[in-house]
Amino acid sequence: MEIIKTTNLIKDYNLGKVKVRALDGIDLVIEAGEFVAIMGPSGSGKSTLMHIIGCLDSPSGGDYFLDGDLVSKLPRHALAGIRNRKIGFVFQSFNLLPHLSILKNVELPLMYSGSSPRTRRHKAEEILNSVGLSDRLRHKPNELSGGQRQRVAIARAIVNTPSILLADEPTGNLDSQAGGDILEIFNNLHSQGNTVIMVTHDPAVAARADRIIQIRDGLIDYGSIAG
Amino acid sequence: MAVSLAESLHIGVADIAMRKVRSLVTVLGIVLGVMCIMVVLAIVAGMNESTLNWMQERGGLSKVEIGYNWQYDFRKGGDPSFTLAELRKLQSLIPEARAFNPTISSWRSKTRYRDKYYNAGCFGVFPDMQIVENWYPDRGRFINELDVRENNNVVVLGSAVAEHFFGKRSPLGHSIMINDQMMQIIGVMSFKYWKSENQMWGENALDYLNHRMYIPLSTMLNKISPGTKIDQVEIIAENPDAAVALKKKLEPIVLQLKDGKRVFRVSSAQEQMDQMKQSSMIFGAIFVMIAAISLLVGGIVIMNIMLASIKERTREIGVRLAIGARRRDIFVQFMVQTVLITALGGVFGIGLGYAILDVVGGYLEMPMVARFDMIFVALAVSVGIGLIFGIAPAVKASNLDPVIALREE
Repeated sequence: MEIIKTTNLIKDYNLGKVKVRALDGIDLVIEAGEFVAIMGPSGSGKSTLMHIIGCLDSPSGGDYFLDGDLVSKLPRHALAGIRNRKIGFVFQSFNLLPHLSILKNVELPLMYSGSSPRTRRHKAEEILNSVGLSDRLRHKPNELSGGQRQRVAIARAIVNTPSILLADEPTGNLDSQAGGDILEIFNNLHSQGNTVIMVTHDPAVAARADRIIQIRDGLIDYGSIAG
Repeated sequence: MAVSLAESLHIGVADIAMRKVRSLVTVLGIVLGVMCIMVVLAIVAGMNESTLNWMQERGGLSKVEIGYNWQYDFRKGGDPSFTLAELRKLQSLIPEARAFNPTISSWRSKTRYRDKYYNAGCFGVFPDMQIVENWYPDRGRFINELDVRENNNVVVLGSAVAEHFFGKRSPLGHSIMINDQMMQIIGVMSFKYWKSENQMWGENALDYLNHRMYIPLSTMLNKISPGTKIDQVEIIAENPDAAVALKKKLEPIVLQLKDGKRVFRVSSAQEQMDQMKQSSMIFGAIFVMIAAISLLVGGIVIMNIMLASIKERTREIGVRLAIGARRRDIFVQFMVQTVLITALGGVFGIGLGYAILDVVGGYLEMPMVARFDMIFVALAVSVGIGLIFGIAPAVKASNLDPVIALREE
């Protein structure tokens, strides 16, 4: 089943008078349950592609189907709901809210999806337990190591059981030991049937994926279709 | 799928708790503004209350007074006094009045008992004075109609006068000399005492009454102080509304009695009360305006600090958007936070205002009345400020583009 399908995806940026084309017709299919790495030099458009796949941004042209739904034409407020229910983000710099305990951080997506406080807490505790942080629930993010913080971020990304897990250089800020642990978690999540899309420029990291999609100058160099 | 108000409140409280000092500084203007409003409302309420108390003590709101018209230009002629005959006519025209008492006073009469002198004010009155002043003798009796008709040489003493001449002994049955007239003491008025909350009015605001003597109006006119003019009449109506009606009825009558010259002014206590209330409201309005300026400045300060705080929290907003917060959720989050801060400032202001009421009241020597509804006014004002000045920051926060917000360092 195709979880992601884009046809001739185009994204233009207006920088004053100059129009910059970041994506120049991306055709991409990702099957449910795949582990995909997106690679490319900086400025290639891989971040833009990620933002569109993650419904943080809308394309200037072309279609994007997520889970069979055409989402590229949806208005902003509808995209918020899609991000909440179907997408889990993991960022390079963790992006945890520094003033909240890690439990509260993980509860956030559930709060925005309208779960009751009890359900939220229960689910968040369960997920944090599964990433090995059950003894740190009340800690603030800055009391944790980088690797632990990224595990909190992963817990937050998967707590709402999204359709896809989007990770943007998830090991970029970590030492190789912690980075390895994090990649292990992604491997586990993948083997449990989750769709994982990871943006990276590290070939060793990308090698963990089933497929590598190489982007260059807003176009897919190779890897646009599975298999 | 939405964040409930309770949830937003929870976030707001947490945000404020996190930034205690900043929140406190932010809200200083509101605290001071609300405090000002509290104090001013308390002063106005206090002024109104002591005016009302005073009015009630002096005959209540059912009183109508005919007195010298200070605004009349006496070069146009006219005599600002009544004869006894004119008064009798006036009284017969208003049978609906409960009490009718003209007063003339003589401050130059010499009063003597044996070898003791006393410089007491001597007042010629009708029996109705008791009703007008709501004041009765506690020994003997007061002047009656017969005394007035017969120009009787009788006198009722104020308690201070009685004590001066007789100490603890009963003055009843004794006689005193007023000018060259031998006057029999028929009664002693009860001790008059009224303690106002208004310190300016002294320990016993009505003590001057205890230093007076009362004799029949006719005796005063004909024997003690001939030629003294009757220029003041106090009338009590059945109720305050009737007093207003009576005042309207009396005006043309008095005018006609005085040949169309406005030498007298007819006024009702209700009107005086309304005027006092109006002037205290104007006074209050001026200070509330000053407080409003403080609140406005406070609101602008809050708006700017919130705008700055949003700049600082751009990344947080980006993260919230990425994990599914809608624009509305972000808008409500910041709106609630601003309103919470201003409401908190309002609560502090109310507390502070309440705490300094006594201090300010003591300093100004004015009675202050704190009423429960002031708290609602102050709270409503501070919440209103939050609602108004919270809009711009909340709109700015909720309009952030998630991609740009996430890029922010």
